Amino acid sequence: MISLRRKKNKEGSLTSQGGGPSLLGLGLSLPPLLIVLVFVGLPILIGLTFSLGFTTGPNRVIAIIGQQIHKKNHWWGTLSAYNDVIHDSRFLGDLGLTIFVTVLSTTLVLLLALSIALYQRLIGGRKAAVLVTLSIVPLFVPVVISAWAIHTFYGGDGFMKTFFTHFGVDFPTLTSTPSAIVIGTVWTSLPFAILMISSGLQAIPDALIESAKDCGASVFRVIANILVPLAKTPIIIAASFTSIGILGSFTIPLFLGPNQPTMLGVEISNFFGAYNRPQQSLVMAFIVFAIASGIAVLYVRSNIKSARESGRL
Amino acid sequence: MLKKSMRKPLALFAAASLAAIGLTVPASHAASSTIQVYISADTNIQDLWVKTLVPAFKLAYPGYDVNVTFDLHGDHDAQETAKITAASVLHKDPGVDLIDGGFTTTLGAAGLLYRPTPGLMPNIKDLNKTVLAAGKGGIPYRASSVLLAYNSTTVPTPPATLDDLLAWIKAHPGKFTYNVPSGGGSGYAFAQTVVDKYLSNADRATLVAQAAPELEAKWAQGLETLRQLNKYTYGQNGTYPANNAETLKDLATGLVDMGTVWSDQFSSALKAGTMPANIKVTAIKNPALTGGASYLGIPNSSTNKTGARLLANWVLSPVAQNLIVGGTLNGFPVIPLNKLDPKLVTAFAGVDILNLRAAYLSANANDLKSQWASTVPGK
Repeated sequence: MISLRRKKNKEGSLTSQGGGPSLLGLGLSLPPLLIVLVFVGLPILIGLTFSLGFTTGPNRVIAIIGQQIHKKNHWWGTLSAYNDVIHDSRFLGDLGLTIFVTVLSTTLVLLLALSIALYQRLIGGRKAAVLVTLSIVPLFVPVVISAWAIHTFYGGDGFMKTFFTHFGVDFPTLTSTPSAIVIGTVWTSLPFAILMISSGLQAIPDALIESAKDCGASVFRVIANILVPLAKTPIIIAASFTSIGILGSFTIPLFLGPNQPTMLGVEISNFFGAYNRPQQSLVMAFIVFAIASGIAVLYVRSNIKSARESGRL
Repeated sequence: MLKKSMRKPLALFAAASLAAIGLTVPASHAASSTIQVYISADTNIQDLWVKTLVPAFKLAYPGYDVNVTFDLHGDHDAQETAKITAASVLHKDPGVDLIDGGFTTTLGAAGLLYRPTPGLMPNIKDLNKTVLAAGKGGIPYRASSVLLAYNSTTVPTPPATLDDLLAWIKAHPGKFTYNVPSGGGSGYAFAQTVVDKYLSNADRATLVAQAAPELEAKWAQGLETLRQLNKYTYGQNGTYPANNAETLKDLATGLVDMGTVWSDQFSSALKAGTMPANIKVTAIKNPALTGGASYLGIPNSSTNKTGARLLANWVLSPVAQNLIVGGTLNGFPVIPLNKLDPKLVTAFAGVDILNLRAAYLSANANDLKSQWASTVPGK
């Protein structure tokens, strides 16, 4: 079955015909590829050399302005800036908070998105449609606006506090706490995860669910053994995009988080701007980059796997 | 056939789109009658230049044209600093003749500003010598001070000295706040003032004038005092407002009874009605909260230094200083009060505007912000 499909694919494929169309393919893919290489790849490379203490050439200007600049003392550079960051009393707290918020928020987003998507898939109807539509709303609210809205809602003079005071309840001030960051990141990340997961679940044929039910499977069993496994790829895509987005978030932790520890996105900006330590801020950026790459590997692997299963690879 | 005929335009399109991105470099300007002014600040400063200073300057010097580039909140300070530094190193035109922004002193410290002399800019004679020297080439043209704002309904007699203030904070838990030093100058001023309490006058002067990492160990005692305030400030677990605006908001909504604010931002809020009239400001002593000048800078590499000097010199004239004081900005002047319109001067009773206690040189200030962040909040 699989070999048959592959064969058919080869025959029908455009790329295997002569040299012309492949040149066209190259022509079409070259501009975005070059733009990524020149405007993203090259600056990353230059940034890496600067973090290692290469302070000449393209890094000359920033080395003149920045403070606490380390210059290379080996042919390959120096790890002094990395050493600075690892031994900075703020860094471990920042890294811990960043990972904590990323893991907790991603888990919450996946659970919420999955429950809304399952509700729509299994029960459906008008109510479910309205619920899904409403849950997409945060997608159209700019992050700065929602951050301030959450701030005025949970702040010391916010709605929750004022409302509960009328009943003699002292509602806690959530702003300047990690909880507020989690609320904010869940709010901003939810719509994408719902779109992704609900479309994945919608693609599963009714026949599979109905035949399982006919064999006496409970709703829970249908979810655990049919719906979730078949929607694995969209769930993994939603998980990796959500976690990478939260890992690099800036506005939400800036407005809603504690001053210290803070998430690495905010700390990178503090080090680059307020403390004028560009080298150390780059080191932190590379650490975030390394974590994000780890998540990206999961995403790419799941993509390759689903491409293999559907015979595209 | 059709595909083949498409290939060439496609490749051309690809090349053109790449070239378009690569070649969007700013065009240079040659006309020496145009002065390029770069402003990195809030909208009140944009209004000061565009609506007040530039029209008045053009009236006085009809031969000159002023082109203002505005960057809100200094979002592009790092890029602009890099651009001007690069232009200076490469002896190219930076496209800027006069800068008004926080990064002027950074450029001055790096030796990238033209150093004004009384011969070519006569009006700098009227400036405070220390303030001028601290600019390292930057030209002070307006000032503002950080003041203690208080709710006059709940606090009938505000503290007069820093020690009084520290005692008041401890006696009234949760009623005082200052913003994160890296987020705004009003909170920074409080942090520096507490740190300065334990320093000698000589050490304070050194930290204002030059980079002095060896003196930074002496900040420990002040930072410890600030850390101990964590349980008494608003939030009570060591959390602080993110910026100047948030402190003003906390005062206006009655969350706190006392906080440090910029004089000009407070006056503007009072005029605009966003600050209730029962919130008042006062200056404390021993040591006073810091204040400071805003500096103009002429990059070394500017191609129109003559025009930039003319404009900067005019901004220091009594005519222009009256505009800065009397307009919507509510700024402090940098020249002696007896040269100004007597009607405008009454607003400064009680504040020694020409001898404001200066903030540290930016390199030391950056280190203080960083050390505050590692030792105070949440500890």
